[in-house]
Amino acid sequence: MEKEILKFTNVTIGYGKKKIIEDINVAITENDFIGIVGPNGAGKTTFLKTLLGNLKPLSGTIQKNSHRFGYVPQRDTVQPLLPYTVYDVVMMGRYSLMGVFGKPTRKDHDAVDASLEHVGIQHLKNYNYNSLSGGQRQRTLIARALAVEPGILILDEPTNGMDTPSHYSLLDLISRLHDDDKLTILLVSHLLSDVANGVKKLILMDKAFFQFGNIDDVLSEENLQKTYSSEFYVNQINGEYVITSKHRN
Amino acid sequence: METVSQVIQLFPYAISGGILAGMICGFLGTFVVSQRVVFLGATLTQVSVAGVAFSFLHIINIEGIIASILGITISDHSFLHNFEPAFYSLLFAVIVVLIFSQTYQQKVLTQDGILGIIFVVAVALRIMFIQKSPIAEVSEVESILKGDILFIGQSQFFTLAGIFIFTLLVFTIFQKQLKFVTFDAESASAHGINSRLWLLVFYIVVGMGISLTTRFVGDVFTFAYLIIPASIGLLLSKKVSHVFLTAVIVGGIIPPISIFLAFNYDFSSGPAAVVTMFVLFLIVYGYKKLRG
Repeated sequence: MEKEILKFTNVTIGYGKKKIIEDINVAITENDFIGIVGPNGAGKTTFLKTLLGNLKPLSGTIQKNSHRFGYVPQRDTVQPLLPYTVYDVVMMGRYSLMGVFGKPTRKDHDAVDASLEHVGIQHLKNYNYNSLSGGQRQRTLIARALAVEPGILILDEPTNGMDTPSHYSLLDLISRLHDDDKLTILLVSHLLSDVANGVKKLILMDKAFFQFGNIDDVLSEENLQKTYSSEFYVNQINGEYVITSKHRN
Repeated sequence: METVSQVIQLFPYAISGGILAGMICGFLGTFVVSQRVVFLGATLTQVSVAGVAFSFLHIINIEGIIASILGITISDHSFLHNFEPAFYSLLFAVIVVLIFSQTYQQKVLTQDGILGIIFVVAVALRIMFIQKSPIAEVSEVESILKGDILFIGQSQFFTLAGIFIFTLLVFTIFQKQLKFVTFDAESASAHGINSRLWLLVFYIVVGMGISLTTRFVGDVFTFAYLIIPASIGLLLSKKVSHVFLTAVIVGGIIPPISIFLAFNYDFSSGPAAVVTMFVLFLIVYGYKKLRG
């Protein structure tokens, strides 16, 4: 049996007195690959902030063991004017491990090199982050999250605004991180198709609706109707989920 | 050459203080510009001026309190003489940065909106404080409020040197944390760095630097030197360290040149320093445009 690393029990999330989703019960275990899907404004970011500890839950308990988070934010939120190199950005992932006054050691430099190698951008390490393409920037941010040596890798809309080859290449990288490195991954996306054929478990959420479980149990026409207030067909062809709208001609 | 040595003899602290003020603003301005919080710089200069105006109301005798606590007498040549304006300038700026540092996850209001409110209230309060000031004519108080490079004396010079060293020390010792939170506060938090705390440290140091520099060299000089040297650094440099170095060097070189020009052509030194810096910016911008 896999070890539990994070558990939400009867958690209500929101801002101030405003409740967004109530009674969340989620248990994340080692080697999970969980997709978090819902329409825009469903509360995915609020859920993520609560999970990361940046936002306190309004009620309920969150139990977390000593695993570190590796976090990949939405790419558009990171647009520096200062000309940081890819290496500088990835090294930031090591800062929390160095202590308040610590300097980067050989181990930190090795970890950064290994992370760059892992996501296939070692050759870009001296490039200016601002000069990279969307896909390369996203790989840089993933390398930074890997440099933390995380227990859980959390990606917030990693394929947003990417061209098709970069989109699939990135999804392939994320799958490899799970399959080959046994990383526990939480993938937030508003694109159901990105998530449905990769993850093992699924969180479907909208303001008054929250479902968590194995993908085969959660990904149903009824649950999608409740989440998106729209009707879908959910079919499997050669083991792959194909989701289409019932309103298409 | 004779004029140069004459200026050096007449205004030794103005020149060295101007260099320090320009370097402080160049360094802090690089963060302000790269963080896209230029309006914070403008707001802090006005808040600092409002703090100085508040000191003229003499509601609390800070110098007297400090003198009685330390058991000393503050003479006209003492470091603590005329301490109140700097104290209130600093206090007002720190209160504003405390408010501002807590707004990075603000959902309803934008940071610009919050700064805009503080900006106009600071300007209004300054006018009200000056009107109620018992000590002088409005025009006289206004000129004191605005600060002037040429009035930098020994104690102001050493205060500026202290701010410069303090700022460099904080940003050197805590460069990891400050670099990460100013680059991406959300991820820094997720990766175990207390973004709220470190952003607070960052804004307090920025607030201190801006408020005390404003007190000594004026709001126009301070704001201009926060923005223009950093912009020149960003235009010319391809490495982060070079951006800072360029901004600090440019910020330090132009004030003595402009004091000389102001003396020679009978201009006010503050505006001359701003215009000279702007001319340099135009040259750099034109050079970059020509080179494509």
